[in-house]
Amino acid sequence: MDADSDVALDILITNVVCVFRTRCHLNLRKIALEGANVIYKRDVGKVLMKLRKPRITATIWSSGKVICTGATSEEEAKFGARRLARSLQKLGFQVIFTDFKVVNVLAVCNMPFEIRLPEFTKNNRPHASYEPELHPAVCYRIKPLRATLQIFSTGSITVTG
Amino acid sequence: EVAYSQSTGQKEQLSRCLQRGIRRVQDLCKVLQLPRVFEETAVSYFQRAVQHSAFHLVSLEKKELLGGCCVFVTCRQHNWPVTMGTICSLLYAKQELFASVYLSLQKELELSVPALSLADLVKTHLNSFRLFQHTDDVPAPFVEDKEKVVARTMQMVELASETWLVTGRHPVPIVTAAAFLSWQSLQPGARLSCTLGRFCKLAGVDLPPPAHLRLKEFLEILLRMASQLAWLRVFKLDKKTVVKHIGDLLQHRIFLLKNAFCQEDGEEQGAEAPSEGSPSSPPAAGGVAQEKGGKRQREGGPRPLLPPCLINPRKRLRTAAPSPSDSAITGDEPISDSEIEQYLRGPEEIRAFSKAKAW
Repeated sequence: MDADSDVALDILITNVVCVFRTRCHLNLRKIALEGANVIYKRDVGKVLMKLRKPRITATIWSSGKVICTGATSEEEAKFGARRLARSLQKLGFQVIFTDFKVVNVLAVCNMPFEIRLPEFTKNNRPHASYEPELHPAVCYRIKPLRATLQIFSTGSITVTG
Repeated sequence: EVAYSQSTGQKEQLSRCLQRGIRRVQDLCKVLQLPRVFEETAVSYFQRAVQHSAFHLVSLEKKELLGGCCVFVTCRQHNWPVTMGTICSLLYAKQELFASVYLSLQKELELSVPALSLADLVKTHLNSFRLFQHTDDVPAPFVEDKEKVVARTMQMVELASETWLVTGRHPVPIVTAAAFLSWQSLQPGARLSCTLGRFCKLAGVDLPPPAHLRLKEFLEILLRMASQLAWLRVFKLDKKTVVKHIGDLLQHRIFLLKNAFCQEDGEEQGAEAPSEGSPSSPPAAGGVAQEKGGKRQREGGPRPLLPPCLINPRKRLRTAAPSPSDSAITGDEPISDSEIEQYLRGPEEIRAFSKAKAW
């Protein structure tokens, strides 16, 4: 690729993970009984609740900690988390929506060229690590940004962090 | 007065766990017949790792694997070709757990681990094949000279590197498939009827499941190359018969690859002279661009030299592009009660559900 050529790359956010706390104890059995779209995992002590709009999955612990995954933007994640908190309020819990934080964003991007992974790794140590016996992609860590990139030979890149 | 620990050197003693671990590392090095310096390095890594906060309190199972990981890292740092599969089989360990311990070790101790060299792996992997000596299990026509098989397998593996068959793939199935084709091509008359499974059984090695796919990819590449070789055009070659001509194809592989596969920038095909000494190794260090060959395949013409997963892509569910209404979300919109009602069960539903679940 030339430095002068203008190639627009689409970066698509595919998943946003956020957490929040309800500041009250949650009765998981009651949520499983009275909530719709709920899966109760008694053995690990958590409840999964799925919302349709936005399309997110919430993992709820009795301590009041909730993790939401599946949103495609930070705003959507916040909206989904608030919706979930309202649902819990409607079930009768004294929920206070606090400590909301986005903890992880996953995005994908496609390069318009293929990448020779062994050579790429050789020229980008120590940031790049390539173990073909374990995973078909190069793992490239950017420590200052706390981001990890998975670089595939097809040019597809997955960014998490 | 002198404290008991000072007089008996109690603090200088190694813990039982550490002693056992060091013995295990030393035994592994002996089994793998590694040089003495490897053993010393592996033991020092193990001592560092066990004293590190990330590994000090892990389970005994993980500490056993830690020793294997230290040996593995040492071998890789000295370009001694050994695979994770070998270490896992010696330790009777699950590969997933070994992988997680290995990655943690690499990160916590900040160890630099060079890539595994395929060329070296070919030599060590073929050392374990039992086809190079006359035995009762191996018929005479199947016995082959080791040096010839190794040399041809190395060329096949180089060909695989140049044609995108190696990048992102597990190395052992590629070496197995390359060895099989090389062995067949040295005496095709007697060996064409032998399958890959039988070959591995005779050689006394496991057949890795992806080897069949790698074999198929190899044969496809060879058939395309054969179509560019003048004296083979008159023959109607197929996946069996092309094996007889592997020697010729490998000898002229630079020229044949250039003619059999196209580049996106529309280089002239066919009439070009053989390459003027341009390296057969993959393009520029920096691992940067090859122009994408395009996913279309021109009928009857050379196809782009691309990774197989781009030539035959699997169907993927495409996520819908965000609509304008989705992109207008701020996260702080008001939420009406009616929106929430859909996530709550009605009283009758709750009664029926609790009856059914009987909690």
